[in-house]
Amino acid sequence: MGRAIVITSGKGGVGKTTATANLGSALALLGHSVVLVDADTGLRNLDVVMGLENRIVYHSVDVIRGKCTLQKALIKDRRLDNLWILPASQTDDKDAVTPDDMRRIVNELKATHDFVIIDCPAGIEQGFKNAIAGADEAVVVATPEVSSIRDADRVVGLLAQNDVPARLIVNRISPHLVKRGDMLSQSDVIEILALELLGTVPLDDQIIATTNKGMPAVLEGKSLAAKELMRIAKRLAGMEVEAPSDVGFFTRIGRALGLSASPA
Amino acid sequence: MWNNIRSMFTGKSSREVAKGRLQLVLAHDRTGLEGGRLQEMREEIAKVIARYVQIDAEAVEIEIETRSRETQLTVSSRIQTRTAT
Repeated sequence: MGRAIVITSGKGGVGKTTATANLGSALALLGHSVVLVDADTGLRNLDVVMGLENRIVYHSVDVIRGKCTLQKALIKDRRLDNLWILPASQTDDKDAVTPDDMRRIVNELKATHDFVIIDCPAGIEQGFKNAIAGADEAVVVATPEVSSIRDADRVVGLLAQNDVPARLIVNRISPHLVKRGDMLSQSDVIEILALELLGTVPLDDQIIATTNKGMPAVLEGKSLAAKELMRIAKRLAGMEVEAPSDVGFFTRIGRALGLSASPA
Repeated sequence: MWNNIRSMFTGKSSREVAKGRLQLVLAHDRTGLEGGRLQEMREEIAKVIARYVQIDAEAVEIEIETRSRETQLTVSSRIQTRTAT
């Protein structure tokens, strides 16, 4: 029996789909069989981020309506032979998918795969409820900004209400901005959200370039962000990896010397 | 380091301002109290306290603080003691 992990954030545009594509690809690279589920009905995007947009025949709503079997709707990745995606439908019918439908799909996928990674839509409405319905655990993606962290906190509360344990990825951190005192640090975000940290992904131009090509960055493997995403995937898979280091080094030294004006 | 020296003279860094704003907004978000509900609660609490001791209803303050996932609500009010009047 596999594990179902939902990638969520509350706020849009913080890197959920990129995280889903990369963590899924990384887990497949590590030898696990992985299905990525796009739960963003009506605003399908995981297919383009994965570069599989030309191969879609069926989608999740076809499965729910009995037009095809679940196995038939899965698209196999051409780079890794243990990676599949289940595309979302582009329908604007908000009742096309229910939490029970998602639970059924995810449970069926868990029976045959090690990991089911669910890409959650932004917001906390129906799409969010569907996305978390079948999940055993959650990964909350937050960027070090007030709006993102506020929305992440809301999502953390809703996940707790639904008994879904959550861990955190701090995305797009810029070490030099943290050092300059112009960005919240990894430890600030952990302190505020009070979640276990899986890892911190640095802001990295390479992600934009690889996403343009429909190639998850971990498959090229060279960039800093790709290395960190790989490390996060290892932690997700339960492998021993060293704890992520904080980027606010100078700030800490400053505080130790009593130079910082920050509150304790 | 420069930032720390700067912040000693010119006040808080934008990072510290962001953290402070977040802690305040999250404390309120986590209560789930919307609109004027907090104000209503304050007035109601003031009335209850006033039944037992003399207070200035306007001076009843409600503070919501958050640390980790624990959120604490503190009501404070100055009592007008009999000896003082």
